[in-house]
Amino acid sequence: MDVEALEREALAAIAKARSADELEEVRVRTLGRKSPLKLALREVRDRESGMALNAVREGVEQALAARQAQLAQPSADPTFDPTLPGEEIPRGSYHLITQLRRQIEDVFIGMGYEIYDGLEVDTVENNFDALNTPEAHPSRDPRDTFYLDDDTVLRTHTSPSQIRAMRAMEPPVYLASLGRVYRRDTIDATHTPIFHQVEALAVDRDVTLADLRGTMRAFAEAIFGGTREIRMRTSFFPFTEPSVEFDMTCYLCDGAGCAVCKHSGWIEMGGAGQVDPNVLAGVGYDPEEWQGFAWGLGIDRIAFARHGLPDLRLFWENDIRVLSQF
Amino acid sequence: MKVPVSWLREYVDFGLPLEDLARKLVVTSCEVDRIVHRGVPDRDGNLERFVVGRVEDAAKHPNADRLQLCMVDVGEGEPRRIVCGAWNFGAGATVAVALPGALLPGAEQPLGEAKLRGELSRGMILSEREVDLGVDHSGIMVLADGLEPGTPLADVLPLTDDVLDIETGFNRPDLASIYGIAREVAAVTGGELAAPPGRDPAGRTEERVDVRVEDFEGCPRYVGRLFRGATIGESPLWLKARLLAAGMRPISNVVDVTNYVMLALGSPLHAFDVARLDEGRIVVRRATKGEKMRTLDGQERELAPADLVIADAKHPVAIAGIMGGEKSEVRPETTDLLLEAANFDPLTVLRTSRRLRLRTESSTRWEKGVDPFAAEQAAVYATQLFVELAGARWAGHVDVHEGLPERPRVTLRPELADRLSGMHIPVEEQTERLRSIGFQAGDGLEVTVPTWRARDVTRSVDLVEEVVRFRIEDVPTTLPSRPAKPAQLTREQRLRRQIEDVLVGAGFHEAYTWTLVPPGEGRISLEEPLSAELAALRPNLEYWLVESARRNRNAGGQRIALFELARVFLPADGELPDERWHVAGIMDGGYFRAKGAVETLHRALHVEPDFTVLDVRGLDEGWGYFEVDLDALFGRVPDVVLYEDVITYPDVKQDLAFVVDEGVSAGELIEEARRAAGPELRELKPFDVYRGEQAGPGKKSIAFSASFQSPERTLTDEDAARLRGLIAEALAERFGAFLRA
Repeated sequence: MDVEALEREALAAIAKARSADELEEVRVRTLGRKSPLKLALREVRDRESGMALNAVREGVEQALAARQAQLAQPSADPTFDPTLPGEEIPRGSYHLITQLRRQIEDVFIGMGYEIYDGLEVDTVENNFDALNTPEAHPSRDPRDTFYLDDDTVLRTHTSPSQIRAMRAMEPPVYLASLGRVYRRDTIDATHTPIFHQVEALAVDRDVTLADLRGTMRAFAEAIFGGTREIRMRTSFFPFTEPSVEFDMTCYLCDGAGCAVCKHSGWIEMGGAGQVDPNVLAGVGYDPEEWQGFAWGLGIDRIAFARHGLPDLRLFWENDIRVLSQF
Repeated sequence: MKVPVSWLREYVDFGLPLEDLARKLVVTSCEVDRIVHRGVPDRDGNLERFVVGRVEDAAKHPNADRLQLCMVDVGEGEPRRIVCGAWNFGAGATVAVALPGALLPGAEQPLGEAKLRGELSRGMILSEREVDLGVDHSGIMVLADGLEPGTPLADVLPLTDDVLDIETGFNRPDLASIYGIAREVAAVTGGELAAPPGRDPAGRTEERVDVRVEDFEGCPRYVGRLFRGATIGESPLWLKARLLAAGMRPISNVVDVTNYVMLALGSPLHAFDVARLDEGRIVVRRATKGEKMRTLDGQERELAPADLVIADAKHPVAIAGIMGGEKSEVRPETTDLLLEAANFDPLTVLRTSRRLRLRTESSTRWEKGVDPFAAEQAAVYATQLFVELAGARWAGHVDVHEGLPERPRVTLRPELADRLSGMHIPVEEQTERLRSIGFQAGDGLEVTVPTWRARDVTRSVDLVEEVVRFRIEDVPTTLPSRPAKPAQLTREQRLRRQIEDVLVGAGFHEAYTWTLVPPGEGRISLEEPLSAELAALRPNLEYWLVESARRNRNAGGQRIALFELARVFLPADGELPDERWHVAGIMDGGYFRAKGAVETLHRALHVEPDFTVLDVRGLDEGWGYFEVDLDALFGRVPDVVLYEDVITYPDVKQDLAFVVDEGVSAGELIEEARRAAGPELRELKPFDVYRGEQAGPGKKSIAFSASFQSPERTLTDEDAARLRGLIAEALAERFGAFLRA
């Protein structure tokens, strides 16, 4: 006997039944005493075919019960069309940067870091001098940086938050700082004069480059998921020594190479390093006693790449057709 | 910095493939943006199709006046017929030929055999521009005589090259030269480094070179060399090809040599026409106020007293380290040269370059600081090339300085590398790594820094970087080992999130708008704004938020509701502006929708809105707008909300309608009613305003729903009547209000 065909026919008949009466007929035909299934069960001699037939019986019984419950629902008002859309309850949306900012904040909170709010307008002292920036460093150039006067700038990075925080706190310090930063870039599809950075600072007695690498990896895995590798490359920042730039294995191809990572397998993340002893001494921390890492990265590009936006200006145009997508 | 690989290989021998070299440099030394192939494509045997040819016969094309019909021996026995548009050669000339099938630089299709005005051309005689060797296209390349026809052209000319596009960090000015990169390549690959290029010609120089340095701070060293009898002309092809590959345009042999040596050794040079220097003299000094000069780019520049200039006996002839002047420029008729191989103070060059908005290949090098010891080697190399390529005679030499800087000595602290990196690097390895990049390290821990790293490496921690960068890939992956410590958002951060949540929940879309707005009263202006619209710090969030809302409406948007939570900047007495958090919203529906949003926002934070200070407005075009100072608001948010019993004793609800003069506001009535009835008046909310016959002219009727409740007992009807009486009496007395029902 073709057990499968039997089951198929039974299930089709159940689905087709339009009333309780029709369903009862199907039940008698498929599970009744004289039904082929029951007759076959009676003839069973070996364990295997018995189990197979019983499985079919159970399946058919469940389908019958389910269809019965369906048909038992109060008969609907013929004017009631449940497929019409629900009454619209207005729904707003969080900006993509806010969504990412919160996710990042939560990751740092989870690692025991405070979230420190710096200032967007800060002193040249905090933005450059205390960060060990040489006078000839191009970042100080008024062609690249917005000055209010000789002593005041729109911060060019979130790093002056480090200075403010360390001056206000006793070590050890573990903090992250997020917010707007300003560079005198002309607006185009891949540049905006205002963008967002996240900065992390860990200063303790024995925080090393290895801890930096591990923390960056924990961060990358929390934000991008999966298992991420971190690559560090030698670089230069006035406020760290040694300085590195760091990449993570591409979140799309896991390092195999794809369009997102320009076939390198790596995604550039940001800059980092061990806090320069001049910076520590400048805020009154003894560099022989305290050491640690700082790192920063731009978050607009992360959101931009992750959500497939074609143009950074979309972040600032506030078109509700775009905002409400996210 | 563009590094032609053939040039690099002249100074260092490295065995590994270019891609692997680039990967190593990226990790230990500097960014390698890309590797670009230049010149003739080197694949599928393409180079074999470029050969030396000898023109056996050249005559005018029978059907075209401007074409030549040539028979060219390319070593095949039978000469080839080639049609050519150039006339700068004739029979007997040795030329460069591309055979059919050859792929030229930048071409998509290989060269074919083509009929030109009826004559079949079986190849092409090449100009230097056609193979990326120069910019000249006025004639073809005429090669040196004596080359055997059929010789692969690649054996004679640098037809093909790879170029590393390198980004050097601010701390590594030593990498802004081919030799500097070679030094680094030698260290990362273990390859052998050649001695720096350049050897002085034999013989003595007798002439005096008149150089006076009046400002050693701005110019710590000035090597001046005098040359006689130079012939200005074109540079040889190899030199032009290298300059082009490195991203510079060939100009003339003398200028090309100065550029070539700058690229090779990193020390910028300048050549003056001695005949055009007043009294043949060089004076290095600061400019005087109002002094002017015309620079090589044809611009008239007004100088300031802080600018360092190279002057002759009377006038400036160059802005030191930035650009030469037109007056003493080397010209075709120039024969006597003064070569400047100097050292300039980075900050002096930087300040002048910023002030004049003038950045050049040379100024960007000086700004980062150039090794003063490189000047002499650069002078030597340029001398060699002037003699070889311009037929010049070296006639005089002077080296003006007040003592050259000592090489810094720094103590190696081996434990510091371990402590900072989180891995163990044996002291022997540390000293070995340092030696590989030119540091002198003996048995002790005292290390002498090479002159080209003297600016960057001054402390023990700087040595750590020089060691660790070679091991950066081996740094372990660990986490700080500190004890667990709870962290949480601050109260303000939590409240800010809550406001975002409330507004998003209420249907608002969160906007991000520029911090910068047009300048105006009460707005702090930028010194150098990007545009008139982005010229000052915003004192509130209105400008761009309104703009965003309008843009949405113009795009056909409906039910527009936007908010932004961000900082604003108010002028303040201290050194910094008063930076405050604001939230603002704009929406369709005018004043009352905005007010509703503000009320909801306050209710969510358990704060009574104070509309006497809140900014809630209806704007033109039907917008409602609100803006709230969060620093002020958060000060009023209770930390803990205490329970209030509203369940045990039920409330009594009643409607009241008062007829009042048009000028009396609902708010005034509510305030007075509360005062009169006390806390047992739990709620008094207007729900209708009626104007018309029954109210009377100049009057209106406001209907309120009132709820009376006591936390101590159930209020009776008599209680309610008494409270209602108190209210009616007070409103009648204060406002002449008449209770209708």
